[in-house]
Amino acid sequence: MDISPILNGFGVVLEPANLLYCFAGVIIGMLIGVLPGLGPGATIAILLPLTYGIGPVPAIIMLAGIFYGAQYGGTITSVLLRLPGEASSVVTVFDGFALAKQGRAGTALGIAAIGSFIGGTVSILGLTLLAPIVAGFALDFGPPEYAALGVLGVLLISSVGNGHKLKAIIAACVGLLLATVGRDTFTGAERFTFDSLNLAEGIDFVPLAMGLFGLSEILYNIEERHNQVHSPAKVGNVWPSRKDLRQSKGAIGRGSLIGFFLGVLPGGGATLSSLAAYAFEKRRAKRPERFGKGAVEGVAAPETANNAAATSSFIPLLTLGIPANATMALIFGALLIQGIQPGPQLVAQHPDVFWGVINSMYIGNILLLIMSIPMVGVFVRILRVRPAILAPITVLITLLGAYTVNNQVYDLFLVIVFGLLGYLMKKLGFEPGPLVLAFVLGSMIENSSRQSLLIFGGDPTGFFTRPISGTVLALVVLVAVLPLILKALRRRRPAGRADDTVEENAP
Amino acid sequence: MPASRTAPRRVLAGVLGTAAAIALTACGGVKTTSTGGDGGEYPSGNIEFSVGASPGGSTDLITRALAQGMAKELGVSTPVLNKPGANGALNAKELQSAAPDGYKIAVQNASLFTITPLTVSPAEATKIDSFDVITGVSRDDYVMATNPKSGYTSIKDMKKAGKTIRYGTTGVGTGAQLASALTFKSAGIKATAVPFDGGAPALTALLGNQVDVSTMQIGEAIENVKAGKLVPLAVFSKERIPYMPDVPTATEQGFDVQVTQYRFLTAPKGTPQDVKAKLLDAAKKTFATPEYKKFNEQNSLTPMEVTPEEVLSSLQSDTATYKKQLDEFGISLAG
Repeated sequence: MDISPILNGFGVVLEPANLLYCFAGVIIGMLIGVLPGLGPGATIAILLPLTYGIGPVPAIIMLAGIFYGAQYGGTITSVLLRLPGEASSVVTVFDGFALAKQGRAGTALGIAAIGSFIGGTVSILGLTLLAPIVAGFALDFGPPEYAALGVLGVLLISSVGNGHKLKAIIAACVGLLLATVGRDTFTGAERFTFDSLNLAEGIDFVPLAMGLFGLSEILYNIEERHNQVHSPAKVGNVWPSRKDLRQSKGAIGRGSLIGFFLGVLPGGGATLSSLAAYAFEKRRAKRPERFGKGAVEGVAAPETANNAAATSSFIPLLTLGIPANATMALIFGALLIQGIQPGPQLVAQHPDVFWGVINSMYIGNILLLIMSIPMVGVFVRILRVRPAILAPITVLITLLGAYTVNNQVYDLFLVIVFGLLGYLMKKLGFEPGPLVLAFVLGSMIENSSRQSLLIFGGDPTGFFTRPISGTVLALVVLVAVLPLILKALRRRRPAGRADDTVEENAP
Repeated sequence: MPASRTAPRRVLAGVLGTAAAIALTACGGVKTTSTGGDGGEYPSGNIEFSVGASPGGSTDLITRALAQGMAKELGVSTPVLNKPGANGALNAKELQSAAPDGYKIAVQNASLFTITPLTVSPAEATKIDSFDVITGVSRDDYVMATNPKSGYTSIKDMKKAGKTIRYGTTGVGTGAQLASALTFKSAGIKATAVPFDGGAPALTALLGNQVDVSTMQIGEAIENVKAGKLVPLAVFSKERIPYMPDVPTATEQGFDVQVTQYRFLTAPKGTPQDVKAKLLDAAKKTFATPEYKKFNEQNSLTPMEVTPEEVLSSLQSDTATYKKQLDEFGISLAG
């Protein structure tokens, strides 16, 4: 492998102007990541005209910085305010918000920053060394493989919930049902749209998540507060302890790999990776019941994975010319405007762009880590604000975020409706997590399996005879059956659980 | 709790600062639109371009390129607002009920008026009568391509193969679907449509050899065609396309299928003549700039900077042709 273009790429990035654009990109990204809804996509669209005059390399360095910087910022609201701005940070909410309630928000944010840094860096290394090979792997994933992955995802959802299994399944079913709202992609038939054009493209993720997680929490707390005196959350441990780090070491390592590989898959890769990383940690934990109540690994794993996935989602764009998500589509557009066509020939024709953007990510990640450390200290103080002040501000941010996605007032009503639904669910002991995740996976499962059946000419055995989808489905069976087998084994030697040594400090 | 009383003030300031920063970020570039109509010379305020699609798509990029150029010509800001939903129908409905004062305009797609009505109920179909067309903008043609592994190089090769062809499209009610359906039906090739949600997944499935052929917009396929990862089979324009001069049209291959996507600038019905003239003038000046011409080339767009009358007659004749052909072959786009 000829490494001189890679080294030249570093030369490009280290030019002061490019460093400055990288810095500007990650700062903007981090700030907009904090506001749920106003995602990197919308920001890049707004800033697009600014990039026309600055040349392709600095432009893409800055836009890429916005994209992965936003992944860092997104963690902050997920942990502090229970507002996941993107589907890939839904899982972070479970343990992140629980930690914040225990006064360990700093721990959660710190570990997320470290995990994000490591995940991002591992993924960039992968991008540097393996991009062309992994790109081929992404193409082997057709509709049948996505359908199988979606089924695996739904199965994993049932294991991430912490409360009642049956209630988690009911919530997931409601999520799958909500995913069917909108115009059918195959026939154009209207489904549950009640003749409203606003529902023609289905329900957007952001209003759903903002309502079910953010608004419902606020409504619930208002009621709670009537019954008890408010005690401000403690804001101890601004930084994760040595023990926390030791505890999340494995989760970060595994999250990096899961994120890198699943992130390469266009569409849904990042969400699946955070879900898979979380579920995997929970399954291998000696005391899985800690998850959802403030397990550090529960934050480390998904945050590492979604950052690794964000980085590796550049692979299809840079090597195949396929934008993996809406933000990548914009970066694609930005490159086009600069006269550069992303595609298989990019690395040969424009090595400065290819290696410039990849190498800028090493620098960008270091910058983000450095910025995160003091920011964690600032952000955790938000929790010391009295709820009477914090709650309205949160509602404002929530509604503003939901509005910016489609610029539709309709979405604000959706937030309120889902907020009420979330409140009722919480009263009745249902968790929003399974609902939201099933909602995200629902349309992927439906569309992919219908596409598969069209490709197979209606023969469902195709799912099992293709090597990758067959393997994934075998894994599904394994994951479903394994707990039953383990249970049976455990019953045979009842004293088997005494070797649990990992202590915890949940109050 | 005195301990918690002293700190919060400082913290609150911090939070408010953060919130303000967030709000500023949110508003960056999206200045409030002037209501106009103050009797002064048009334009006296911002002109808002709305886009019926998400950021990053062709319609969005074209709107932004045009808006940027027209801002310079008219000396006002031209914020671009994305209002995706229902293939652009949502945005169209909002635009048609906006005040016809030239402060809210939009680039719209021909397919919304020519193809979408074939798949939705008549009540929902958007009608061109609700708008004033300012000018044509550009054409965005379709290409049918295959994976080199299939061995096909023309439409006839697929017929010779004698098997059911599975073809990817960019969705129901798109020109890609219409063009492929008409081609296969008129060539007598047995084929099944596999609709994807847009061009990127249709391209991915084709590169991975998951489907036999896919029909996409030229700009989506061109790089992989140049790299030899895709083999183009046909374009669906009247004449060959300068960006792919070696690819024969469907008509040349003996199949009378002409489907094209084009875009034009619209304002709500009843916009005053002088306002329309100003907009047209600014658009024309933008079209003539080297930056805009370069933009068209890079996105494989063919200029179609024609008069409103020509746009309207194209829309009319396309709608009639598509409907006639679909009826003739007994094709229903709604799967």
